[in-house]
Amino acid sequence: MKYTLAIHGAPYASQAAQHGIAFAEALLRQKHTIERIFFFHEGVYQALSTRVIPQGEEELLEKWQGLGSQGIELAVCIASGIKRGVINEAERLRYEKNASNLAEHFTLVGLGQLISAINDADRYVEFPS
Amino acid sequence: MKKMLFIISHPPYANTHNTELLEAAMVGAVFDGDVSLLFRGDGVWSLLPDQHGEKVGYKTFSKMLSALPTYEVDQLFACAGSVADRNLSMATDPAIEMLSLEQQATLIAAQDVVIGAQG
Repeated sequence: MKYTLAIHGAPYASQAAQHGIAFAEALLRQKHTIERIFFFHEGVYQALSTRVIPQGEEELLEKWQGLGSQGIELAVCIASGIKRGVINEAERLRYEKNASNLAEHFTLVGLGQLISAINDADRYVEFPS
Repeated sequence: MKKMLFIISHPPYANTHNTELLEAAMVGAVFDGDVSLLFRGDGVWSLLPDQHGEKVGYKTFSKMLSALPTYEVDQLFACAGSVADRNLSMATDPAIEMLSLEQQATLIAAQDVVIGAQG
């Protein structure tokens, strides 16, 4: 089956990442496909490249990027993202900020990409805040 | 296009989830989705008239809500029990249909997908 996942929770404020990553990896093991992983609401903070993970904690960003390197689309809602400070180089230039911080393998996309991914998938699963 | 139900269960100014969900619902309608909205739990506070979001630094949710018919999002529902529990007098525009728990179950069962169910 084809799945679309939505991550609504931020790191440390929810277990959205732990649950979403485990679910995505299980889907792939069972030969399902993932249409897109969409980061919405506070879920956009998952895509920050500037996080420093304390020793002994799970490297969740690397796990997301592991999924990204397998061709899974990691799509960050641009409306939710930029107002929370999650920006790529193009947005940094557009809004004249001094740094960009969107991690590799993530892209900033419009809400239309959530709707089309929901429409194209057999199942839609949310990981709440 | 799928039948999509957006469930709004947060109070309107505790975070920006409601605003963001409403934006997603509008985009869903622009993409020709069959979009419905259900307000329940503390989400029904979103339906009070005469809101002033600017006083807490947010967009005024009720203004966004009244723009929904422009986007052809006109299937708006609220949980009757949630409204009664809070003793609310709701805005009359746009029109919102009150549903019992049983009717909400029927509404949800009729959808292809439910968005925002848990926040």
